[in-house]
Amino acid sequence: MPVAVFRTRLIQRGLSRYLWRHPWQLALAVLGIALGVAVVLAVDLANSSARKSFQQASEQLTGRATHRISGVAETVPDGIYVRLRLELGMRASAPVISAHVSGLDGRQYQLLGVDPLAEAQFRDYLAADQTTTTSGRIDILALLSEPDRAVFPPEHADTDQLTVQSGSQQWVLQAAGHFTDPALSGLIVTDIATAQVLLNRIGQLSHIDLILPTGRAGEALAAQIEAILPADLRLEPAAANDQTTLNMSAAFSLNLTAMSLLALLVGVFLIYNTMSFTVVQRRQLLGMLRALGVTRRELFGVVLIESLTLGLIGTVLGVVLGIWLGSMLVQLVTRTINDLYYVLSVSKYFISFSSLAKGVVLGLGASIVAALLPAREAATAPPGVTLSRAALETRWRASLPRQIASGSLLLAAGGVILVLTQGLIGGFGGLFTMMLGFAVLTPSLIILLVYLLQPLCRGLVSAMAVRGIAKHLSRTGVAVAALMIAFAATVGVGVMVDSFRSGVIIWLQDLLSADFYIAPVNEGEGARSELLPDVIARLRQQDGVAALSLYRGRSIRYQDQPVVILALEPARQTWDGYRFVSGEPATAWQAFSRGQGVLITEPLAYRQGLHVGDALQLVTPGGALTLPILGVIYDYGSEHGRIVLPLTTYRHYWADDSVGSVAVYATPEAKSEQSLAALREHLQSQLGPLQALQFRSSAAIYQRSLEVFERTFTITGVLRILAIAVAFVGMLSALMALLLERGREFAVLRALGMTPHQIDGLVVLQTGLMGLIAGVLAIPVGLWLAWILINVINRRSFGWSLPFEINPMLLVQAVLLAVLAALLAVIYPLWRQRRIQIAGELREE
Amino acid sequence: MTQSQQPFLLIDQLYKTYTEGDESRAVLDGLELSIAPGEFVALLGSSGCGKSTLLNLIAGIDRPDAGRIVIAGAELSALNERARTLWRRKNIGFVFQFFNLIPTLTVLENARLPLQLNAMDTAKERARAMSLLAQVGLQGREHSYPERLSGGEQQRLALVRALIHQPALLLADEPTGNLDTRTGAQILELLTGLAQQTGAAVLMVTHSETAAQHADRVCTLRDGRIEAA
Repeated sequence: MPVAVFRTRLIQRGLSRYLWRHPWQLALAVLGIALGVAVVLAVDLANSSARKSFQQASEQLTGRATHRISGVAETVPDGIYVRLRLELGMRASAPVISAHVSGLDGRQYQLLGVDPLAEAQFRDYLAADQTTTTSGRIDILALLSEPDRAVFPPEHADTDQLTVQSGSQQWVLQAAGHFTDPALSGLIVTDIATAQVLLNRIGQLSHIDLILPTGRAGEALAAQIEAILPADLRLEPAAANDQTTLNMSAAFSLNLTAMSLLALLVGVFLIYNTMSFTVVQRRQLLGMLRALGVTRRELFGVVLIESLTLGLIGTVLGVVLGIWLGSMLVQLVTRTINDLYYVLSVSKYFISFSSLAKGVVLGLGASIVAALLPAREAATAPPGVTLSRAALETRWRASLPRQIASGSLLLAAGGVILVLTQGLIGGFGGLFTMMLGFAVLTPSLIILLVYLLQPLCRGLVSAMAVRGIAKHLSRTGVAVAALMIAFAATVGVGVMVDSFRSGVIIWLQDLLSADFYIAPVNEGEGARSELLPDVIARLRQQDGVAALSLYRGRSIRYQDQPVVILALEPARQTWDGYRFVSGEPATAWQAFSRGQGVLITEPLAYRQGLHVGDALQLVTPGGALTLPILGVIYDYGSEHGRIVLPLTTYRHYWADDSVGSVAVYATPEAKSEQSLAALREHLQSQLGPLQALQFRSSAAIYQRSLEVFERTFTITGVLRILAIAVAFVGMLSALMALLLERGREFAVLRALGMTPHQIDGLVVLQTGLMGLIAGVLAIPVGLWLAWILINVINRRSFGWSLPFEINPMLLVQAVLLAVLAALLAVIYPLWRQRRIQIAGELREE
Repeated sequence: MTQSQQPFLLIDQLYKTYTEGDESRAVLDGLELSIAPGEFVALLGSSGCGKSTLLNLIAGIDRPDAGRIVIAGAELSALNERARTLWRRKNIGFVFQFFNLIPTLTVLENARLPLQLNAMDTAKERARAMSLLAQVGLQGREHSYPERLSGGEQQRLALVRALIHQPALLLADEPTGNLDTRTGAQILELLTGLAQQTGAAVLMVTHSETAAQHADRVCTLRDGRIEAA
């Protein structure tokens, strides 16, 4: 064995035994790395599982189709399918009609109407090995010929009957088989004719799947197909639609990832803190080793290998913890996606190699980066010289001007990134750079705050507590910075959510100006259900009804993005419900009433760069439609945007006279709570026999909307707690090291006659002040963070502008929680401190 | 000072054993010692013979396995932890080899610390602290932090801190061990003078026979017992 290796091993052993003698320090170092890795990995796994589930399900449904014919109005006449088959002889084509229906328990299913005979060449899910029936195989004949037959999703494997609701109708479906693949969870397949009846879409398809040959033959066939398609239909690659749907939730995923990176940032601080403690506490030992002839390079290498080992152990633990945490988070992610974007059922938790690799790289990378500085410090210490604690602090304080310069530089760089970039990644890049800048400036700000606090000190004990924070800045600085970042994130995200809530509340309160809303049972945006003309006619004649606003919603594609058209015949009262971002409301509404333009929502204007006065061009079944934009309105209901179109214009261009829902404004004398209840009861009795209707008060819709809102932010709250947990471990680790280092000082104080309670008081006061400083600094940093989240990140993610709403209680709460976290973190170190023998501490030098 | 006076400190049959693993080592083995009020006793002994242990036992920081320590009529073993601390606060002054000043307190604040602990931090006492600091040559350094002082200055400050509250007993643990000979001699001069000024008895443990010459009486600790020089 070479002498150098042997020597290095001995050094390694000598150094590592120190850690084994301080197991808590070892445990906290490992825990710090593990927590940081776990949070990032968990979010990544939850996101990728949701994404992968969506992809698997859509791959099953897209099958071998290479192309798809779809319409800008999301509907294709079934005559096109007939023409494809008869005129072009296109045998490799399959009609599909799809929509969401709900079970009696409110659960959403995807209903797919297909031609079972045409399906075989596209998709395998109807094959015998993918399904199960009591007779062993799927009953294709029954599926084709019997109107209520369907193949049920795997979760209904033990039922032969399933009741679903579409619009005002309930249907009892009989099983023609069951899917076995868990990826098909939530999918019901029927014959195309059954689906058209059930969805009230006779003669309509959602799209037509095609298998086109590759090369020139395929191109020629595509040209032939395009030739027979009307203007509002198009031929596109099959995967394009899925990608659009996936992109919808990309901003949400990115937001989650950013929150997890925030936790990692706190984690890196924690790792740096712990790693530097492990090195600096052994400075005497390291100095002795240098005196004995260990070279700088050997010492540097040994310290790095040790950090890498700790990093590896922490990372492995973090991966295990992250996998477990991710399985919890995936449920929250799925719920939010279901609330906001599309129906998703995550039947399998996917642990991808890339996610694991990301976690491992982050854990090991952070450990090495965190250890580099202290390792360098260890290696450059003069041989034999034991740097005293005071000298070490003096060196650290001497570096403050450098820290101020670097912090300011990071803030400036972050600002430049924010200003010069447009996308979300640039937004987060700028935000993180600036957060790092604030963290680097924290020790200097601590000095300033301690200076300001000193005059308030009464007695030497409080002076010792306050000054101790500045005196041990190399320890306290990093711990306070980590805690500050975690609580700044809490303040920032809290203010953002409050602002968001406030925006949504104002928007809903304005928008829900009617006394109640009537819709067919289970009517929803995009559903094909409609109110019977008789219902509307009767409504107009009722006493107590002052005015009606009529609505019709429809999904279309605008510039290849899904957009909702809201066709509106507004009562005069409805005008005030829409808040304008730009445009003059009275003029805009007058022109709107004359059918002379449209209103668009803020996200659509932001994404497409549209302004008041621009001409909006739409492709409609009735031909091209160009209308000026009269106003841009606030809307938090859809991040992709809505176009509010006069109902008459819609009817003309879409040849659709139906009305989806009605807002009812009562006469002034019917406005009291009792009168409204009576009016509602009266209308229900009058209209009920004509059609199954649901009456929803503004308050009920408002309540339901806020519930969804709160649920959406549950995951954000969980991630905030995780970031605080990471910071808490950082604080605990810092306090443990600090108290260990100050053991002798406390022993001297005890020798001078201080009671254990007085020492406790000193430590608690100092720790509480550290928490207070972290909390106080977290407020401006958090408010700044909130401003960026609201005006840059949210804007770039969703296109919404939000009011900046500060709840003072949130700020007070953050400061108190920071103090509490610090005080909780000191309990164990203090308990340990009490067990240390004074005589032993005084003896050790 | 004479031996015939009533002893201020009486140590009777003191035993202390340290155990490490299966091995135990008797550091004090039936030690007996008495010190008269205002007497300066130097205790010599080799490294690890138990000198510091004895100081810790006298100060009530550590507890003996057996034996009695009676100081000014109070038997330490009869006091609980809190009572011993309060007793120490009032009656004992400590000077350590490595000064052990509080880094977060200024020179004046370090000196005032025992006064504040004993609720004696009056304007008059503060003036006395200033005067004592001036006496040991620290005038003009009152608002400096200890890290700015030389070793000798730090030990002078430690002396003021040890005696400011006028304790009955000053325990000095190798007070010159970390200083050069000249500075050490100056410190011992100051220690003797200040102890006489405040009337405190002194028990100083040291390796140095030269340092021991400043004492009224020199004893040697060997095999856990006191041998008169």
